[in-house]
Amino acid sequence: MENHVELQNVSKFYDSGHRLHALHEVSFGVGEGEFVSIVGPSGCGKSTLLKIIAGLDKPSSGEVKFRGGTICGPHSKISLVFQAFGLFPWRTVLENVEYGLEMQRVPKQERRELARDYLGMVGLSGYEHMYPKQLSGGMRQRVGIARALAVEPEVVLMDEAFSAIDEVTADVLRDEVAEIHKHTGKTFVLVTHNLSEAIELADKVVVLSSRPAKVKKIMPISLDRPRDRTHTMFVHIHRDILHLLKEELENTFIRHKLKGIDELQSIHDMESGADRKEPRLKRAEVTT
Amino acid sequence: MSVEKQRALTLSLTDGFFTAHRFQNYLWVFPLLLALAVWEAVTRAGLVPGSRLPTFSSVLIVFLTSIQSESFLLRIGYSFLNLVCGLFLAFSLALPLAFAAGSRDKFDLTLTPIVMLFGALPDLSFLPLLVLWFGAGNAAAVIMASLAGFFPIYFTVRQGTKNIPRELFDVTAIFKSDRISTFTKMVLPAISPHLFSGLRLAYDFAWEIIIAIEIATRVAGIGSFIDGNVASGSLQSGFAAIFAIAIVAIVVDRAFFGSLESWTRKWA
Repeated sequence: MENHVELQNVSKFYDSGHRLHALHEVSFGVGEGEFVSIVGPSGCGKSTLLKIIAGLDKPSSGEVKFRGGTICGPHSKISLVFQAFGLFPWRTVLENVEYGLEMQRVPKQERRELARDYLGMVGLSGYEHMYPKQLSGGMRQRVGIARALAVEPEVVLMDEAFSAIDEVTADVLRDEVAEIHKHTGKTFVLVTHNLSEAIELADKVVVLSSRPAKVKKIMPISLDRPRDRTHTMFVHIHRDILHLLKEELENTFIRHKLKGIDELQSIHDMESGADRKEPRLKRAEVTT
Repeated sequence: MSVEKQRALTLSLTDGFFTAHRFQNYLWVFPLLLALAVWEAVTRAGLVPGSRLPTFSSVLIVFLTSIQSESFLLRIGYSFLNLVCGLFLAFSLALPLAFAAGSRDKFDLTLTPIVMLFGALPDLSFLPLLVLWFGAGNAAAVIMASLAGFFPIYFTVRQGTKNIPRELFDVTAIFKSDRISTFTKMVLPAISPHLFSGLRLAYDFAWEIIIAIEIATRVAGIGSFIDGNVASGSLQSGFAAIFAIAIVAIVVDRAFFGSLESWTRKWA
């Protein structure tokens, strides 16, 4: 099967103060209709990788291919679900879902109907005219998902999409995303730090190493759906991935002990978003 | 008629001006009336000489006749026009600069210290120079009003821009928004609560500066009207003009800024 999305030796360096090697020659493919989860130790560059696939960031070397063409910016057939939902608070639920269509200059009547359809799909009919602040976290993410689907993408990227939502709501929402994946046959790529979530949803899990992130292992998940987290195989896979990640964390810890605390500081900066504009706290300020 | 309908009707009848909740919003009327009554009593009793403070009732009569006079209204109109022009100038200069400063650190570091430097100077200290350059006329008044309005708009918009979550910029990028749509459909609404409070402050500052200029340079307007009348002893006209300014300032504040802010309150 030809890959729908393919990463070829994607590397990423940051040059802010000292050079930071975020991704090292990451290569893997995502088949059409496949659900791929990406996991890795915290701060390893998972989100950076997703941003590169989304075209929001450029790789320092290597390429991301979509249907054989190189990605060099956001693509209208690749959509993203954001960690903090990314809704516009001044727009109603319906207007938020319409946003992508509006940017594609879909006529008002048509985009309104499409938006209503997708709101129905995520179970938010009747909430069209509410503002995001009136909704719970889970409902806001439903709006985020509806907005991502409304532009009829071929690939849906999810950046820690369930991590800002309470456990039970997230569980329900995961089931619904699995359902949407099954019905629409779209390609999904999910970045998460939640291993059970990764295994539950994915056809394969890409395990990244600690910084600079390399592909440590690709684990195909062939369990029947809907998946049972207490199934023996599920537990085994979970244990194996956890083991891999713990190994990575230990490696990182030893490396940092050798390299000194400066690197830790910069890792911390990277985790909190390398290109964010807040001035970096000096260590002296932190300790005093 | 069903019970529900009857209940709805009674509710709608009692839900008027004088229901308890609505009534609370007008409590401020009482201290105001009390103050005016004290004013009237003190002046009537002759505790304060009429040449210093006229009675409230005589001021009210002059006010009611003044607002029917075309020249009086025109003077308010002149002042208001200068104010609006100044604010418009301030807005069109401050908005792009503040947006640039809020979104680009280098630009912020280059421009903001200079803006702060000028902001620290009392605006009126420039007045003699402006009069020298532009004459004692509307141009000087407009420029001074824009100067006064610039700083609150600049600093609120700059802060508002800095507060936009990065994620929202990613959202516009993912859905392939062009630069203009990004500005009009994301940045502007995102900074609007900041912008509105900046505009409101600018409006207050500009009124003060406009009146001060009119008094200092005798530019035709309501400020010079107060000055002239008080100097020639017709205090009633002076007070009437102050009432008129107060009413214009409050009505515009409530009607314009009030409606802008009620829009942001819906979602913010």
